[in-house]
Amino acid sequence: MSDPSPAGSASTLASGEGAVEQPPAIELHDVVKRYRGGVLALDHLDLVIAKQEFVAISGPSGCGKSTLLHLIAALDAPTSGTVLVNGHDLAKMHDLSYFRRREVGLVFQLHDLLPRISVLANVEIVMYGTHRSSRGRHQRANELLEEVDLGGRGSRLPTQLSGGERQRVAIARALANEPGILLADEPTGNLDAESARRIMELFGRVRNDGVTVVMVTHDEALAAMADRTDRIEVGRIVSSTRNR
Amino acid sequence: MTVVTLAVTSSGLETSAAAIISVGKADFTIAQKGVSEILSSTIDTGERARIEATPGVQSAVGVLVETEKINSDNPVFIEIGISPTQLKQFGVTIVRGHAYAPTASHQCMLGWRAAANLGLHVGSSFKANGTVNTVTGIYSTGNSFGDDAAMFPLPAIQGYNRVPGIVTLVFVKVKPGYPVSKVEQSINHNMPELTTIRTASQFGRADRNLVYLKAAVTGSTILAVIIGAVIVGNTMLLSVFERTRELGLLRAVGWTRRRIVGLILIEAVALGLIGACIGVGLSFAVSTGLEHLPALRGILHTNFTPMAFWRALYTALGMTLIGSLYPALRAAFLVPLRALSYE
Repeated sequence: MSDPSPAGSASTLASGEGAVEQPPAIELHDVVKRYRGGVLALDHLDLVIAKQEFVAISGPSGCGKSTLLHLIAALDAPTSGTVLVNGHDLAKMHDLSYFRRREVGLVFQLHDLLPRISVLANVEIVMYGTHRSSRGRHQRANELLEEVDLGGRGSRLPTQLSGGERQRVAIARALANEPGILLADEPTGNLDAESARRIMELFGRVRNDGVTVVMVTHDEALAAMADRTDRIEVGRIVSSTRNR
Repeated sequence: MTVVTLAVTSSGLETSAAAIISVGKADFTIAQKGVSEILSSTIDTGERARIEATPGVQSAVGVLVETEKINSDNPVFIEIGISPTQLKQFGVTIVRGHAYAPTASHQCMLGWRAAANLGLHVGSSFKANGTVNTVTGIYSTGNSFGDDAAMFPLPAIQGYNRVPGIVTLVFVKVKPGYPVSKVEQSINHNMPELTTIRTASQFGRADRNLVYLKAAVTGSTILAVIIGAVIVGNTMLLSVFERTRELGLLRAVGWTRRRIVGLILIEAVALGLIGACIGVGLSFAVSTGLEHLPALRGILHTNFTPMAFWRALYTALGMTLIGSLYPALRAAFLVPLRALSYE
């Protein structure tokens, strides 16, 4: 199903057919993001993503996809408008470190693992400052590596893994604190087709486990593997397509 | 390394200098107040008489202390002028031979260490003060400083140095039952040009050089801390720059600023402690090397005290904490997005 109507219609779609009662995981209302120098990245954008939904944000380079993700992750603030995550207005939140540690998991295009520590330590590192003991962190990291099919490779350094494997480590790290939302910025951008397919399968599994997944991609074929694809052009959502 | 080397050498110099006051086995020693160095102290016969007349003073042994270069191994050989009648009060035990005559002009006694070092014995000739002296006895004081010296009749050594009636120090013993501090107070009050010394830490009252030396050591330590802090700061800042992307990632995945500050400080302290350990090892080598330099042999005795090592430890900690504070704060206040795009 394709809906060519622009921003705002995604809310209708997300809240349609059986998902009406579900409180949204992410809501953006009339969001504008203008960078220094006057570049307009997001132009009065509205977006609603329901809980446990797998949404792909697609569009050409420079259309504002990553900016949108950064606003949801509280890595940046909108020039105007409201960003609500799990019902909390990010502009009113005092402890954004806590929010990034507990509410969202982040996966970047360049996977960004710390090169001098082991794969296991890379997963454990986001659990510092949580209730988990050292043993608990170790156990959780091992479980996650098993889940992303990297069991037994925890002692390796990131440089000893392939690009696809490193990206799976990054996904394991993003899930370490059991966030309700997983945000992925071009997670398959540097991967071959087979590795990209495995990452998408992994996202599907994560969604099935109850996590809301938002993935930014410029690859239309991969975007079609999500529950819904929202297409952005020049800072506005120009179409929203339900894939299943 | 600088801090430990300065500490052990100055402590050695202080110990060497202060050793002189513990030769006489007295309750306290009297010297002229505020002289540049203790051996420049002069106390005349009138002052000695007033000291002896002070209530509570049992004995007051006046000694003239001079130094002379005997040979390259003994560049500052100590010569003590003392009356043979006061040797016992001074804590001298003659182990071989006998004491010199009170007014003899070419006789001396050698401490057992000095005799061993110089290869001399009773009856040997010992050239000092421009004259050849016969060694009449070998003595022991139980103090390495005194046992490494020679003793001469007081009038003879006063004559050699053209200071008749003058002594350098007066060693005072207090009568039993009299409080030592009261006798000290009385002397300090009645003779303000003199000062009493009971411990090594009071040595600076008489010897200004030691006070200046200690001030120089303190100044150098502060300077070393500042230079060290700048070096640590520079190193840590470079490390923060190199790891901007990693630190940005940690902030992006939820590390608090406090945790980032902690990470940088812990790294800096670990580096500082490793540096301190290496520095202490190097200071051992440097201090020992200095001790054996021909120009310093016999003058500088390094004194490796636990305090010197504690000083190294807290100086290292101080300089790393001061030096790494700015890099730590800089790392903590990185904007995650900007840091993640840092190449």
